[in-house]
Amino acid sequence: MGRLTRRTFLQSSAAVAGAAAFSAVPAIGQAKPRVVVIGGGAGGTTAAKYIARDSKGAIDVTLVEPLKRYQTCFHSNLYLGGYRSYDSITHGYEKLTSAYGVKMNHQWASAIDRDKKQVVLADGSRLSYDRLVVSPGIALKYDSVPGWGKEHEVAMPHAWLPGEQTQILKKRLDAVPDGGVIVMIAPPNPFRCPPGPYERVSMMAHALKAAGKSKSKIIVIDPKENFSKQGLFQEGWEKYYKGMVEWLGPKVHDGLKSVDPKTNTVVTGFETYKAALVNVIPAQTAGTIAIDAKLTNAGGFCPIDAASMKSTVDPNIYVLGDASIAGDMPKSGFSANSQAKVAALMIRGELIKAETFPARYANTCWSLIETDDAVKVGGRYEAKDGKIAATETFVSKTGESADLRKATQAENMGWYAGISADMFG
Amino acid sequence: MGAGIAWKRRSGRASKPVTVMYCMGSGLGFVLGSVSAAQADNKALGQFLASECTTCHQLSGESTGGIPPITGWPKSQFIAVLRSYRAKERDNEVMQTIAGRLSDDEIAALAAFFEDLGKK
Ligand SMILES: Cc1cc2nc3c(=O)[nH]c(=O)nc-3n(C[C@H](O)[C@H](O)[C@H](O)COP(=O)(O)OP(=O)(O)OC[C@H]3O[C@@H](n4cnc5c(N)ncnc54)[C@H](O)[C@@H]3O)c2cc1C
Ligand code: HEC
Repeated sequence: MGRLTRRTFLQSSAAVAGAAAFSAVPAIGQAKPRVVVIGGGAGGTTAAKYIARDSKGAIDVTLVEPLKRYQTCFHSNLYLGGYRSYDSITHGYEKLTSAYGVKMNHQWASAIDRDKKQVVLADGSRLSYDRLVVSPGIALKYDSVPGWGKEHEVAMPHAWLPGEQTQILKKRLDAVPDGGVIVMIAPPNPFRCPPGPYERVSMMAHALKAAGKSKSKIIVIDPKENFSKQGLFQEGWEKYYKGMVEWLGPKVHDGLKSVDPKTNTVVTGFETYKAALVNVIPAQTAGTIAIDAKLTNAGGFCPIDAASMKSTVDPNIYVLGDASIAGDMPKSGFSANSQAKVAALMIRGELIKAETFPARYANTCWSLIETDDAVKVGGRYEAKDGKIAATETFVSKTGESADLRKATQAENMGWYAGISADMFG
Repeated sequence: MGAGIAWKRRSGRASKPVTVMYCMGSGLGFVLGSVSAAQADNKALGQFLASECTTCHQLSGESTGGIPPITGWPKSQFIAVLRSYRAKERDNEVMQTIAGRLSDDEIAALAAFFEDLGKK
């Protein structure tokens, strides 16, 4: 696999200049090479835009995404907390077409015909590709929580996929009475956005407190012994939401036995809870289409070549974002966006002989705990020993000054504007 | 050259300002020389490296919240600032981590890319 990706860097200046001059010449056949991208989320949108923009029309790019409007999961917790409007986390794809020539196809991709190099769409039509980018995000394992299933996702919302679910959760949250109990069923590893459940707890607690409902309680039933930025979150909960948040690890709750969506009841080995709201965040796998196309391994996610994001199963396919096994990188919008840029470069390298450089990746995840108090965790990553490995990481510290935390939240807001412009602008 | 204005406006923060005038002195002659040589050839490199920055910084030069604009800076100043993040002299773990793996040539390619962008 390295054969295609490891060439061409560190050339002499003269060779570099030469390569640039030829960068618009298709490498395969006479026809324009075609790229199809499945999934208009953080990974897919970025890849489509960068391939189209940087190939200047030399590659034909089609983005397949059923939704006309994409609501980011990132900052959906801030929407729950009342810091953001639903509108402000909603984006459209118009500029991808008008500014960069990406062809939008607003349909569900129902299958990938890998032998024919075609994507089968919901209406039965097919799109041929020279390279396919698969960035479908996650699928929820509806059978991972006893008593809960897809038919219960309104009664007990997950709000872990972009869109309407977030609004359902917000409505239900706002209706919780003072003294009401919220139970969150936290997911097992690996899952989308490691700090996400705990930022959500913070934002739900903030919303309750702001509405004068400080007698309410949020109970987290977690299958994990520990979680991302745990010390920082727990410090914040103690400081701002004293008595409102109870996090229970597996040793304390002794296992989730069942939930009953009809009565909003949650039974653990330790206790039975009658809740006003249950937020079930189930176990996860790569998006269904990746599983159906056999791009996944036994763990349910897609192995990739760390130097390019190319599937190790099919050399014509790249897998991005939450669906991929990205080593030390967490499943985040930032990561998906970063991976997309590497894939876009490698695809241009393969299809139109654009010059390529060694892959580099980065991530930062900010989490808001309370007004003007945000924390962050991040790092940079490279391909090393066959996986994407962290080369330097950082994380906020407990006891930081209010000024620093406020500046961190300002970064968070700036990042959201930045990545939105990077994807949709 | 308008140096210093863009970054000095952030003086309320924990950042340690970089002394651009110092950098412009004796030590930088060599650096600037290699910059202009590298810059002509490294457009593709600059473009790829810059794609890492635009997850946070906007290509349009617009700025929101705590992410400052970075387009249109004079190269020498841009280079000095990135080097000081790399050396962890300037605070901010996000920028220190990003700059930590940039070589001098890469910083030069980025400086050229973002300076150009400001001219459009
Ligand atoms: C509550 C919450 C908070 C989060 N906060 C952050 C944060 O602060 N920072 C951060 O970086 N990340 C955050 N994330 C994580 C982030 O949302 C994901 O990691 C990111 O969206 C992954 O990008 P993706 O491209 O893999 O998938 P997605 O962004 O989910 O995009 C997948 C797209 O593919 C489409 N699709 C799926 N299957 C098909 C098909 N068969 N045919 C056509 N289209 C299809 C879907 O409609 C969807 O639009 C958060 C997530 C949650 C749930
Ligand atoms: C994760 C978000 C993020 C990424 C990615 C990022 N930056 Fe930054 N950048 C910041 C933040 C936040 C600051 C302000 C830091 C401070 O207060 O010193 C900053 C500051 C800067 C500054 C100084 C601006 C000023 O006015 O002082 C420059 C120059 C800069 N970045 C260049 C880059 C370059 C070049 C890249 C890509 C190689 C990059 N940044 C990637 C977040 C980011």
